[in-house]
Amino acid sequence: MEGVTPALNQEAVKLLAANEPDWLRERRLHAWSVYERTPLPTTRLEEWRYTDLSRTLELDSLGLPPREAPRSLAVDRYPERLRNAMEKDWDASGHLVEMDGSVVHTDLLDDLRRQGVVLTSLQEAVETHEEFLREHLATEVLPPETGKFQALNAALWTDGILLIVPKGVQVELPARISRWTSEAGRAFFSRTLIVAEEGSRVSYVDECLSDDFDRQSFVSTGVEILARDGAQVQYVSLQRMGRGAFHLSQQRTLALRDATLDTLNVSLGASVARVDLNAQLLGAGANSDMLGLYFAGDDQHFDHNTRQDHIAPNTRSDLLYKGALEGRSRTVFRGIIKVYEGAQRTDAYQTNRNLILSDHARADSLPNLEIAADDVRCSHGATVGQLDEEVLFYLMSRGLDRRQAERLVVRGFLGEVLAKFPLGGVVAKVSEIIEQRLGAD
Amino acid sequence: MSDIPVLSIKNLHAKVADIEILRGLNLELKKGEIHAIMGPNGSGKSTLAKLLAGHPAYEATSGEVVYKGKDLLEMEADERAREGVLLAFQYPVEIPGVSIANFLRTAVQARLAEDEEVDLFDFQDDLVDRMELLEMDPSFAERPVNDGFSGGEKKRGEILQLAMLNPSLALLDETDSGLDIDALQIVSKAINVMREKDPDLAVLIITHYQRVLNYVQPDFVHVMVKGAIVESGGPEVATRLEEQGYEEFRVPAGA
Ligand SMILES: Nc1ncnc2c1ncn2[C@@H]1O[C@H](COP(=O)(O)OP(=O)(O)OP(=O)(O)O)[C@@H](O)[C@H]1O
Ligand SMILES: [Mg+2]
Repeated sequence: MEGVTPALNQEAVKLLAANEPDWLRERRLHAWSVYERTPLPTTRLEEWRYTDLSRTLELDSLGLPPREAPRSLAVDRYPERLRNAMEKDWDASGHLVEMDGSVVHTDLLDDLRRQGVVLTSLQEAVETHEEFLREHLATEVLPPETGKFQALNAALWTDGILLIVPKGVQVELPARISRWTSEAGRAFFSRTLIVAEEGSRVSYVDECLSDDFDRQSFVSTGVEILARDGAQVQYVSLQRMGRGAFHLSQQRTLALRDATLDTLNVSLGASVARVDLNAQLLGAGANSDMLGLYFAGDDQHFDHNTRQDHIAPNTRSDLLYKGALEGRSRTVFRGIIKVYEGAQRTDAYQTNRNLILSDHARADSLPNLEIAADDVRCSHGATVGQLDEEVLFYLMSRGLDRRQAERLVVRGFLGEVLAKFPLGGVVAKVSEIIEQRLGAD
Repeated sequence: MSDIPVLSIKNLHAKVADIEILRGLNLELKKGEIHAIMGPNGSGKSTLAKLLAGHPAYEATSGEVVYKGKDLLEMEADERAREGVLLAFQYPVEIPGVSIANFLRTAVQARLAEDEEVDLFDFQDDLVDRMELLEMDPSFAERPVNDGFSGGEKKRGEILQLAMLNPSLALLDETDSGLDIDALQIVSKAINVMREKDPDLAVLIITHYQRVLNYVQPDFVHVMVKGAIVESGGPEVATRLEEQGYEEFRVPAGA
């Protein structure tokens, strides 16, 4: 059967669920059945047109992580790259560290704990927040029916993150999540569930890192975010995995009445990175700023697939994804704005801009609009351009060499995205990461 | 040493897009001298300036350009800049997302040895000082280079950049165009201050108007027509052109 492999099979699902409550075992098995009956997406599908899974994903040769993973690990035993990445993360409401598919550390400010904020591993949450998971995990936000790999993730997650912010609670500092993968030849499934109750506020930064691999390592991240009435959520994904990694991040966000649910996806690492982001504006007055930036180098393939669903009236979404490409890299942006019938007075914008720095790089940009309401303001735009020689000459005429000039232009080009993001501390970190990336050869 | 000219151009021919623009141009600037070039639209003034700055589209086909004893045409644009040749553009280019401060810091850094780092405090002091000289609001340094600037702001920004980067040869391509009277005086003052600090600074002013030359007094004024210098003299040449225009030069002088 298609997609079924010796390691990733129904037995594996049963094994994972062995000590779990019945509802969860059933939920996993149901997800597995959805996975099995959903065909592997091919390039004949519009959404996968430029990312050929049959050639890039080696699921058949990947195993699952070992079952008895450590539940805790001292900081001094973290890999150096991970420690460096976390060095400036002290400005946080809490931290969570996941290694090779299992959470090894969590902390949260006492004050927030007292106010009822929950930041915990999914495995622990199965025991401590069973009812909550039963209601929310892989149900309304990211059900297996969303797609084949969303289903696979719902069936095979080994651990993940649960963040709950109770009604009205304001979390000032971001929750910092660091995830590390060290093993090649395996498939890791991690899930994130964030629920911001009415009028609460929270930000969340997920940084995904790994070693460089000579064989494929597959990391599937399922992200479900629910912002209830008037809640404000900022979600950031920093993907900085090593070569050889295939990262699949599938995010779905639900914004209810007057909620704000912003996302920032930064793709820098991995050999193949695919982001599926679906923003659902479900309540009147809901708002989503969707930012993205990517910088692809030699042999990297990035595919960003976004969807802005305006279901309620008076909703607004504004998407800006910008990417730079060098070497033999390839990027794809495909975005759709869909305005449902009855979603009057929708404002929806979508812009994707690509800057090509090499003759061997290629960017495809496919913006799309589907509008079933009449009183709307929508726009979409896409550009794929090269460095302007006049700009380079201007910079070089001040003494910058060609490379420095190029870097400065790229910095400015990508910086426009960060300038729009409201969290200063996070922006500083992302800028620094981009600086490192720009400085690297 | 002292009498090696800063810039010496001999019988320079140059083309752009396969059209010959400069046709046998001769010019020499010594240390500390100010020269002005005037000439009708399309006569090749900017072509000369861009060629000197190393724009890749402008190609010298014959003749020589020697800067401080070295063959300038052998150098890349960035090398020329680091050696002290700086051009204030007639049409400055917009660089979205890159602040003036950031840009200038990178440019200053580019002049240092690989293991040296810009001293950020010194840099900041210099920047504040030069911006005060040019009567610019401090917030200006954080604006993206030329992005959304008015015509006058762009020109002032060009002089700010030059003032920060200490050229030996400043090429000012119509820096005065688009400046109001006050701004013209401020910019002229800045150029004069740069010369006070570095008496060796040689300046080539390309202009259509005598006005600027009242503030920055040239030692020589040249008339350029169809890619060659057809007349050279003192400041009185500018006064005469202001009154009579280029009519007398319309017939190619002996060329
Ligand atoms: N990149 C180019 N491609 C084609 N033609 C060019 C290019 N640059 C300059 N030229 C041509 O060369 C000639 C000289 O142009 P240049 O800009 O040097 O004139 P100028 O003396 O600076 O004029 P102005 O006083 O209007 O600024 C003009 O005919 C112009 O059209
Ligand atoms: Mg000109």
